[in-house]
Amino acid sequence: MSETTTTAITLSEPDDGRRHTTNLGRIVSRMRRQPGTIVAGAFILFLATVALLAPVVAPYDPTQVFLDNVLEPPSAQFLLGTDDLGRDQLSRLIYGSQIVLLVALGAVIIAAVIGVPLGLVFGFNGGWWDRIGMRFVDMAQALPGMLIGITVVAILGRNIVILMFAIGLIGASLFARMTRAVVLVERNKLYVEAAEVAGLPRRQIIFGQILPNLVGPIVTQGSVFLGSAIMIESAMSFLGIGLPSEIPTWGAMLSLALDNQAVAPHLTWPPGIAIVLTVLAFSVFGDGLNDALTGERKRLPRLGLRLAQAEEERAARAATSVSTAPGAVTGTATAVVHGDDAVLVTHDVSVALAMPDRSQTRIVKNASLTVAKGEIVGLLGESGSGKSTFARAVLGMLPPGTWLASGSIRLLGEELAHRQERELSHVRGTRMAAVFQDPMNALSPVHTVGMQLTEPLRLHKGMNRTQARTRAVELLERVGVRNALARLDDYPHQFSGGMAQRVAIAMALAADPELLIADEATSALDVTTQAQVLDLILDLRDEYGMGVLMITHSLGVVAETCDRAAVMYRGRIVEDSPVATLFSEPRHLYTRSLLDANPANAETSGRLVTIDGDLRVEIDGLIDQLDAEEDAR
Amino acid sequence: MLKLILYRLALAVPQLLLLSFLVFTLTYMVPGSPAAAILGVAANPESIARLEQQLGLDRPFFERLIEYYAGLFRGDFGTSFVSGRPVLELFAERLPATVSLIAGGLLVSIVLGLALGIIGGTKPGSFRDRASTAFSSVSMSLPEFWIGIILLLIFAVQLGVFPVVSYVPFAVDPIGWMRGLILPSIALGIGGAALIARQTRTAMAVSMSSRYVDSLTAVGVPRQRVVLRYGLKNALVPVLASTGLTISIMLGASFSVEKVFAFPGIGALMLRSVTGKDFAVVQGGVLLIAIMVILVNLILDVSYGLLNPKSRPS
Amino acid sequence: MTGDLHTSATPLLDVRSLSVGYELPAGLLGRRKVVPAVEDVSFTISHGETLGFVGESGSGKSTVGKAILRLVPPLAGHIVFDGRDVADDGARAPLSYRRDVQAVFQDPAASLNPRQLASHAIETTLRRHGVTDRIEIRSRTLEAFEMVGLTRDHLQRFPNELSGGQQQRVAIARALVLQPRLVVCDEAVSALDLSTQGQIINLLGDLQAATGVSYLFIAHDLGLVRHIAHRVGVMSAGSLVELASTEQIFDAPQHPYTRRLLGATPSSHPDGRDERRARRQAFRDASSVVLEAP
Repeated sequence: MSETTTTAITLSEPDDGRRHTTNLGRIVSRMRRQPGTIVAGAFILFLATVALLAPVVAPYDPTQVFLDNVLEPPSAQFLLGTDDLGRDQLSRLIYGSQIVLLVALGAVIIAAVIGVPLGLVFGFNGGWWDRIGMRFVDMAQALPGMLIGITVVAILGRNIVILMFAIGLIGASLFARMTRAVVLVERNKLYVEAAEVAGLPRRQIIFGQILPNLVGPIVTQGSVFLGSAIMIESAMSFLGIGLPSEIPTWGAMLSLALDNQAVAPHLTWPPGIAIVLTVLAFSVFGDGLNDALTGERKRLPRLGLRLAQAEEERAARAATSVSTAPGAVTGTATAVVHGDDAVLVTHDVSVALAMPDRSQTRIVKNASLTVAKGEIVGLLGESGSGKSTFARAVLGMLPPGTWLASGSIRLLGEELAHRQERELSHVRGTRMAAVFQDPMNALSPVHTVGMQLTEPLRLHKGMNRTQARTRAVELLERVGVRNALARLDDYPHQFSGGMAQRVAIAMALAADPELLIADEATSALDVTTQAQVLDLILDLRDEYGMGVLMITHSLGVVAETCDRAAVMYRGRIVEDSPVATLFSEPRHLYTRSLLDANPANAETSGRLVTIDGDLRVEIDGLIDQLDAEEDAR
Repeated sequence: MLKLILYRLALAVPQLLLLSFLVFTLTYMVPGSPAAAILGVAANPESIARLEQQLGLDRPFFERLIEYYAGLFRGDFGTSFVSGRPVLELFAERLPATVSLIAGGLLVSIVLGLALGIIGGTKPGSFRDRASTAFSSVSMSLPEFWIGIILLLIFAVQLGVFPVVSYVPFAVDPIGWMRGLILPSIALGIGGAALIARQTRTAMAVSMSSRYVDSLTAVGVPRQRVVLRYGLKNALVPVLASTGLTISIMLGASFSVEKVFAFPGIGALMLRSVTGKDFAVVQGGVLLIAIMVILVNLILDVSYGLLNPKSRPS
Repeated sequence: MTGDLHTSATPLLDVRSLSVGYELPAGLLGRRKVVPAVEDVSFTISHGETLGFVGESGSGKSTVGKAILRLVPPLAGHIVFDGRDVADDGARAPLSYRRDVQAVFQDPAASLNPRQLASHAIETTLRRHGVTDRIEIRSRTLEAFEMVGLTRDHLQRFPNELSGGQQQRVAIARALVLQPRLVVCDEAVSALDLSTQGQIINLLGDLQAATGVSYLFIAHDLGLVRHIAHRVGVMSAGSLVELASTEQIFDAPQHPYTRRLLGATPSSHPDGRDERRARRQAFRDASSVVLEAP
């Protein structure tokens, strides 16, 4: 169902206003926005032009020997100096670009021509084709490329076509592997099944879907491999197993530079710099191409980060300047403050989010909620309502780009808002703790369960390893894990979903916190498992008396477990009542609509009530009105 | 654990068989006759036939195949056409130099790469991240032999701090050995460092945004401990998985670094044999190097299994 | 959701003793192990009826759906559709079957090709089934879209430009454009928001009333199924443990697993929850079966 917000809020790219109906148009426009790619592309174009026009551009014939001007440093006559046979370095450099581009291009084409069909065959057919074929490919990839190159040259000789073939062979395994991966992914996609159900023949489907999906990766891989091909070609020329030495190549020039290092250091720089720039250009371009084609620019909210920090500081200053007397907080909170019994008291909490255009918007608005000792309070809302953000605000774990704009969060009487991370990490685990939605990812996969379970015990309770392990076994048994002692040394993937969540609960409760925050803790579980985990939480609450903040989108969970519940919509808490009242006499229109729309509530005949159209407009209107009132204040 | 080793060994056997067979057929792929290629200008039908007989190239396929495998089991990887010495012996002689070089390169790569990756990956999008990523990108475009030449130029030729001819066997002079390894290791290691840095950075960023980071933080584990204890180990998994490839690439790169620093290693031997048409050495050498690579990958696989419990065969 | 059922003698779909297995990837030695996912399942679906199929993950409910759709081959048993056993058909199902039996899957975004326009999905289907006239294709596509509540604008959009509910409507349009007799809905609303779920369910009901199509509605949420199904089958670990009318399943469940499932399903009102909890606890104490695999 609906997912809770992820740890980091990724901001989508602002639209440039125009809609490109063709994919190509979209790709080009994305690339145009990346300066690095543009520069790289320009350089490549420049190089290609130089290579094409070499006879025109180069001042001398590259093989022309000037025996009177041997090993001369750069001068007006020879702009980059001369080598040991008096040949002009600049001209050799220019002609060298021809070889470089030619060999690299040829190698990439050969690599693709060999690799892609192989990958198609392996991926399509599967079975023995795939098994044996991939063994070959793995082997080829494991061997050093240079080895393959050397072998080919040793057997077949040294000319430009063989060189292309050698380097192409090295790269073929990359293309084969990549193609096969794409085929496998596409084969398993749901729309292949859907198309098959529609009657389309399987081969046609896969071919029709795969080829367009292949173009992108092939081009990207090709671009990146071009860079590698140039490196390999240069290395082979340097080593003397590339092209015959009369043909000017950058690698051969460097070999000469090495030999004459002591007397002619100027020979070292031009070919090396040429190689570096060319390889860099191709790899930057390839990366840019890749980003543009996959459309994935994980634009991390650096912008938001700085804004968030600044705003957070401002809010903190504002909070401390107002005298905050300990004790009861008066306000418009509809919940009853339980005084000494209160574990968590939040008042007018607002969380702001930094937008790409440097503005901010509030994703949680003036939320007030209390949790008393031994009380299970539900926070009910659909996706995007702000419920998880609220939980993170309480934990002090707001994602980057968001911050606590205002409000007070008191845990056992102590103010938590705007506290330093260092202080908060002491509070967490000992006074409050949390379990999250996906149990299989909630634990580190490469550490044993015992290690993670004993972490809070050793950190907060000062236990040594033996004591912690003993206590951990007790905890595991308490949450219903059989064979607890043996299981301590198991890894998370050896547990089923429900069991893993129990372990997570045990870890959260290990240091005896007074508040447990369960953020969609059972949403990813099967029905029967969910019931077990919820019953466990109820049992633990009965035994230890902690307060629980149960965040969920499910009315059923609220009905079964909560003593009180708050309903959240568009960042606001619109209703907060004891659970029986909430279900029997809901006050807010949204709550009523939610209850009506619940299929489990529905009459067995007739249509389901849905929240759409006029009803949605009405609900939104109520919220908008509240927003307007507050802004006016 | 033992099961893991045996399993991987079992996988390696068919690979080795296939490889050795391919290598054997190499001489059959030479256009014309290998003997003709060796003799070059001096080739005429009689001398070719004589050389072929001398080298045993005129015998039937299966006879040579059996002889080949029999030889392999004995440890006979062929005999050099040029020097007449066993290929295995030639390689054993040169192995220490190459191994020293690769070990040095790996050390530089791992230390530098991990550091850069952690610096960048723990704060993705920050300035230090972009700086280290830029550094990696540029480093990957620098040919290792060019770095070597420049280092040699600056530190050996012009400053005289390091010797120009670097290799000193460990047995002869440990200090000299280490000193001689410094420049070549840096030359070889920078490219590898960039590769490792890139992977570490991605792995760190991924592991730091994983759900278990939330779980641990929510229980009060301080951030530094979460990063170093939990995040790093998770990040190492994909990095280690690709170390085999890194070593393989480094082996190839070592050939040119050996040339720059005049290291008497395997690369130099192979190159000499290629230009000198010493097919026996090339053939035997390819097989030997391939075996080495397979062995190294085996060790890495086992370590990977140690690190990542999910990949162990159940 | 009671419509008038076609009470004809022969059911539309008659599944008898169906068994389906998955092949595990072969190990080093190429040994192929077959894991049974569905064992000896029998049920019928009449014309114009909705059969709900519930179960937890791993119960095999989706596998049954796939077998009926001929996406996976059965190991044994009969799938008799309209009097003909299609289990014998071999690797490729005849085109007529593809016309009569369609599907709507769980993830609307994944079931549509992201590179093709929304209308393309329907046009391809029509073309495949012999409709060649371009004008007819266009008009029938538009008709299908309007039937599911979409407009002409939506024809020109890519899937990622549509909301989850709209994508699912496109999938339904594709499924219904050929006027099939049976549609397999495999968790068709599970990935949607609460409000959208209701809309899609209403749509499915309306379409059934209008065209008389039958549904095999596969879901893990009992509450959802209660509303839409005439009869309900409960799957557990590959077997069909109970099959009865909806009222009977909910009011008087026979099989212990069904009872357990009902007991675990969160109710719609807090009333009676203490009793439910006590009953679950009693069940746990009495049961000697290992409830959860470690």
